[in-house]
Amino acid sequence: MKLEFKINNTSKALELLPNETLLNVLRNNDFTEVKCGCNEGECGSCTVLLDGKPVNSCQVLAMSVQEKEITTVKGIGTLYTPHLLQKTFVEAGADQCGFCSPGMVLASYSLLKENPKPTREEILVALDGNLCRCTGYVKIVDAVENTAKKLHSNNLVME
Amino acid sequence: MFKYVNQPVEKIDGLALVTGEEKYTDDFSFNNMLYVSVLHSGYAYAKILDIDDSEARKMHGVVEILSYKNVNQILYTTAGQGYPEPSPYDTLLFGNTMRFVGDNVCAVAAETKEIADEAIKKIKVTYKELKPILNLEKSEGSPIIIHKDDGAFPKIPVFYDAKKNIASKVEANVGDFDKAFKKSSKKIEFDFYCSYGAHCAIEPHASVSYLDLRGRLVIISTTQVPFHVRRIVSHVAEIPVSKIRVIKPRLGGGFGGKQEILLEPIVALMTWRTKRPAKLVYSRREVFKSTRCRHEYKTKLEVGYEADGTINALHLDALENAGGYGSHALTVLANAGSKTLPLLNKIENLRFTGMGVYTNLPVGGAYRGYGATEAYPGYAQAIDMVCEDCGLDVVEYYKKWCIKSGETSAIFQALGEGKEGVAMNIGSTSLVECLDEGAKLSDWYAKRKLYGPDSDYNKGKRLKRGIGMVAMMQGSAIPEIDMASAYIKMNDDGSFNLNVGATDLGTGSDTVLAQIASEVLDTPVESFIVYSSDTDFTPFDTGAYASSTTYLSGQAVRKCAEEIKKQILKVGAEMLSLSLDEVELDDSRVVAKGKKKEEVSYAEICQYSMYQKNQFQIQATASHISPKSPPPFAVHFIEIEVDTFTGIIKVLNYTATVDCGTPINPVTSEGQVEGAIVNGLSYALFENYYFSPHGKMLNDTFGKFGVYTAFDVPPIKVKLIKSYEETGPYGAKSISEININGALPAIANAFYNATGKRLHNGPFAPESILKVLSEK
Amino acid sequence: MLILFRFSGICLLRTIHLCLPDAGGVVLRDKNFRKIVESINMLHQNLEWFFPHTPEEAVKLIAAQGVILHGGGTRILKTSPKSIKGLVDVGKLNLNYIHHSDKQISIGAASTYDDVIRYSTKTKKLSLLAQALSEAASTPLRNRITIGGSLKDFPIWSSLYAPLLALNAQIEIADKHDKVISLEEYLESGMIKTKHLIKRIIIDDDPHLVGGVKRFALIRFEYPLFTVAVALRAKKKIISEARIYITGVKGRHKHCKRAEHFLIEKELTNDVIHEAVKHFNPKFAADYKYSAEYKEHTSKVFFTDLLQDLKGKL
Ligand SMILES: Cc1cc2nc3c(=O)[nH]c(=O)nc-3n(C[C@H](O)[C@H](O)[C@H](O)COP(=O)(O)OP(=O)(O)OC[C@H]3O[C@@H](n4cnc5c(N)ncnc54)[C@H](O)[C@@H]3O)c2cc1C
Ligand code: FES
Ligand code: FES
Repeated sequence: MKLEFKINNTSKALELLPNETLLNVLRNNDFTEVKCGCNEGECGSCTVLLDGKPVNSCQVLAMSVQEKEITTVKGIGTLYTPHLLQKTFVEAGADQCGFCSPGMVLASYSLLKENPKPTREEILVALDGNLCRCTGYVKIVDAVENTAKKLHSNNLVME
Repeated sequence: MFKYVNQPVEKIDGLALVTGEEKYTDDFSFNNMLYVSVLHSGYAYAKILDIDDSEARKMHGVVEILSYKNVNQILYTTAGQGYPEPSPYDTLLFGNTMRFVGDNVCAVAAETKEIADEAIKKIKVTYKELKPILNLEKSEGSPIIIHKDDGAFPKIPVFYDAKKNIASKVEANVGDFDKAFKKSSKKIEFDFYCSYGAHCAIEPHASVSYLDLRGRLVIISTTQVPFHVRRIVSHVAEIPVSKIRVIKPRLGGGFGGKQEILLEPIVALMTWRTKRPAKLVYSRREVFKSTRCRHEYKTKLEVGYEADGTINALHLDALENAGGYGSHALTVLANAGSKTLPLLNKIENLRFTGMGVYTNLPVGGAYRGYGATEAYPGYAQAIDMVCEDCGLDVVEYYKKWCIKSGETSAIFQALGEGKEGVAMNIGSTSLVECLDEGAKLSDWYAKRKLYGPDSDYNKGKRLKRGIGMVAMMQGSAIPEIDMASAYIKMNDDGSFNLNVGATDLGTGSDTVLAQIASEVLDTPVESFIVYSSDTDFTPFDTGAYASSTTYLSGQAVRKCAEEIKKQILKVGAEMLSLSLDEVELDDSRVVAKGKKKEEVSYAEICQYSMYQKNQFQIQATASHISPKSPPPFAVHFIEIEVDTFTGIIKVLNYTATVDCGTPINPVTSEGQVEGAIVNGLSYALFENYYFSPHGKMLNDTFGKFGVYTAFDVPPIKVKLIKSYEETGPYGAKSISEININGALPAIANAFYNATGKRLHNGPFAPESILKVLSEK
Repeated sequence: MLILFRFSGICLLRTIHLCLPDAGGVVLRDKNFRKIVESINMLHQNLEWFFPHTPEEAVKLIAAQGVILHGGGTRILKTSPKSIKGLVDVGKLNLNYIHHSDKQISIGAASTYDDVIRYSTKTKKLSLLAQALSEAASTPLRNRITIGGSLKDFPIWSSLYAPLLALNAQIEIADKHDKVISLEEYLESGMIKTKHLIKRIIIDDDPHLVGGVKRFALIRFEYPLFTVAVALRAKKKIISEARIYITGVKGRHKHCKRAEHFLIEKELTNDVIHEAVKHFNPKFAADYKYSAEYKEHTSKVFFTDLLQDLKGKL
């Protein structure tokens, strides 16, 4: 069956089965920027935002979120119009294999949007559902801190 | 001094990664594609008497089933190594003997993944259960033989005795250990046990295959070794090399786990037989159970020394659990000796003995650190013990005894990978500076004095603190075996295609290689269109392992770029009507030496060479092998706090100083250090495989296995201390593996500093720590 | 067989595919595949979804066999959904709220762990509960896991039960009739095993209660081995009421009555704490990582630590 979903600010009819997870539905409908590292809620590579809050899309039955705003990493910035946060990730070297990056970026985005001046501790909590085996997290946390600094010093608000 | 090298250039694929644009293997799907599921053995050791797949074949949507009944029984090794592989040929893609829980029984290809999974459940397999060996110390010479009459054989002339369950054996002697040990006035003997480990690359293993429009097989795969995949798939699936193309798209981490040919032959056969695209993606549980892991190890140390700290004799013995198959069994073992023993090269009598044995447990493979991780905990604790006993500072001890520039160790020649090693002198090293700087950054001297088991600081306290350290070496590429090559051609606008066989696992090697070419050709990194890891379009490279890419592939790129430089200069000189020695490169131009007024741009040069006169394509290719494997060095200092009530060890501070020669890209280099450190820490503190009494892994999810999140990472200080390696590109050596080795030994030494007790079993999980603390 | 390749999207492989005999493309999923699934219809039971607007409707719907409630769905996805014929979503039942009234705080069953944490940060209430929940699972999961689903499900790693029991929470259930019972009774009576709708949790807002909670986990994102919670009330430093619960033990939870009794009418001194621990004897089962003895031992250490923490707060 086909159902309407609100994804990245547009309405989109997606093919799905009633017992499918949001992750499967998204990937099957070419939103391959949402990754699957475990399918058990334990890695965060499938993170999307639901009404602005990060969730593990592999732990969400798609049928239950029809009325919510879904945001994938492309919803906050693309290769052609990258978000400040994404640029800062690259600048800081927070991207190694990049498999965790869509999830990391979304988790950080959601944090900064709500709390543009997070403490280090708040950043660590916000990222506690996103595993990265490559970076050791040091540069990822740096990237979030640097973005916050840039926002602050340029008087920008997170969009 | 450098313009593009040693600069923090952003990763060329960075923006595409963080915007989700890049594609990984599972992101490729094709029309009419089949989905593959594999049935894995639930028994540790069993004979399959029969497979009845009739019910499954009747299901709608089931297209093909592969098992021992219809797949040729061709022995191979899943290890993605150079040819002939040093690992024994002891594996069948689908055989009728199951040698570990997770071994391949059969595979189904169906119209959907759901149907394939359902079909798997309908396949009736009749097993005859055999008594397994589930303990590495009970394997050698056991009446239970794991590879019996299956024809398993070593591909190269090395010791191999399947009848005794011996998958590999290595021995090396320098001087006369026995005599020197006997004569020593002081002696230490102890063991250290290293647990299984899992790579936990966040992207699971996946392969997709299809036939191109001329009927050739294309395999897109999560691999570190595309060229080995092509060769081994050709062998196993009996498809000519000329008909196979292997592509590695973006890869979601490897760490050695994807240096193994596991899924590719399955999809290849499915596609070859059905003429349809086929995709196989392992679930996380399958990755844990069925792919490869870090070998389990038991090392033994015997050290004979004198009261002044002089070590007369040192013997490292390693018993390795290969698991059901001998993938990397020989080479990991050899590296356990060759990456540790040369470090203190002034020890005159050295002995290394090692044996890899088969068991019915998961199969070991390549894993970042590759033997060194397993050997350093024993080695470095031994050095710490000698120093403690003789009242010497261990940092000063390393400074005095460690290998220096211009020096060698007989071990280099004695221990190779499946053959004799290669003698070499150390060229570059900043190990002594690393020791000094690390001691300073970690406040070593003050803290080592403050802590200590009987110190006022710790005495009678529940929470005890300690600081420990380790100095280490690794290698850069396998000398005289690994080969890398590169191809560059020039385009009209002065840009270049850089095609390399090298495999970027996320390490950033595509970027680093472009930086090297940039430096030679004095043109920005953005001028390079880097394309890597495609067996049709990129020249050969052994692949991403043995810490080889920057050092080896980098040098191939440099040579290739030098060739291009010559051609550019020649055309430029011709255009400027100057002789070759009157021109030079300057910022994407050829200019007259000295007065830079006369100039032609790269774009003009390429257009001239393509369209105007004496036309030819400016292009070159180059290959490189290395005569040596220059070791990178690292020193790690770890400060811990032990909760003596619960046994929980908390790491307070981690300091690492590293000599990787010239860091071609300081940011990605640091990233390699940090990533390896965190992986090493969790391996040291809790990562382990827990088995049922029947050999089934029980903690086969991230949640149960336990993986650090950002929250768990202690403060880490990393400092790269340069040296210049003449044989590497712009002075570079490797960096990717070495830093995973430090956590186990440095924590063990810190634990002694805190409690006065030695640790002999990894990981240092709380219950076992509590046991150690309660021992008298 | 003819294979259709079409080019879709931008991708890394663009370069190579342009120079190739197979000249085309990547990435196109077979749009037929769903049809095959649906036509065979043997793999997917027809799962029906319901989005009722009132608790009454919801209760009626779940009376049917194979029809259950859907909160966050995180547990439903872990257990086999094969026998499930229908899912009744709690999202539109107006159960997503946290109210404060009559010295009581009501948490609607559709509230997530994150909702509770935010409420607590804002109002400084429910800090014991919020502390426990803020360590549960992970940020993205806490945004999904509901109070109702977690009460009904009660996994061994629950972060919710120990603090709620220590807080003497009550639970409102809609079955044939609505009723409010203590959470303890909910467990003891076996009610938890019946099918019903949980509407809310009710907790006394008592500023004089001091409490603490501790879970055993080596790393942040790990299923906790056990969670122990203590709530105390004191008059002039003399304990007048104590509630001590631990989850993750044999039988899932334990009300540590002996330790409670011991503490009544005592002041929390080091000696008292030392003695109290002797009355705290939860029984554990061994698992593949830890022995029962180790768990028992550490739970006592944690209990002592909790009491030490509370000493200064009474
Ligand atoms: C990786 C991971 C880690 C986790 N770690 C923790 C942890 O550390 N601590 C912790 O506390 N939890 C943890 N959880 C959550 C826990 O395991 C359960 O998944 C969760 O509590 C279920 O909540 P839910 O809202 O998703 O329930 P659902 O999956 O929606 O439902 C669970 C059950 O409750 C029923 N149900 C749902 N809502 C109601 C209602 N209002 N009334 C009656 N019945 C209802 C459903 O029918 C179903 O039977 C973790 C989960 C995951 C996936
Ligand atoms: S794929 Fe969803 S959390 Fe791992
Ligand atoms: S960059 Fe590879 S998992 Fe994070």
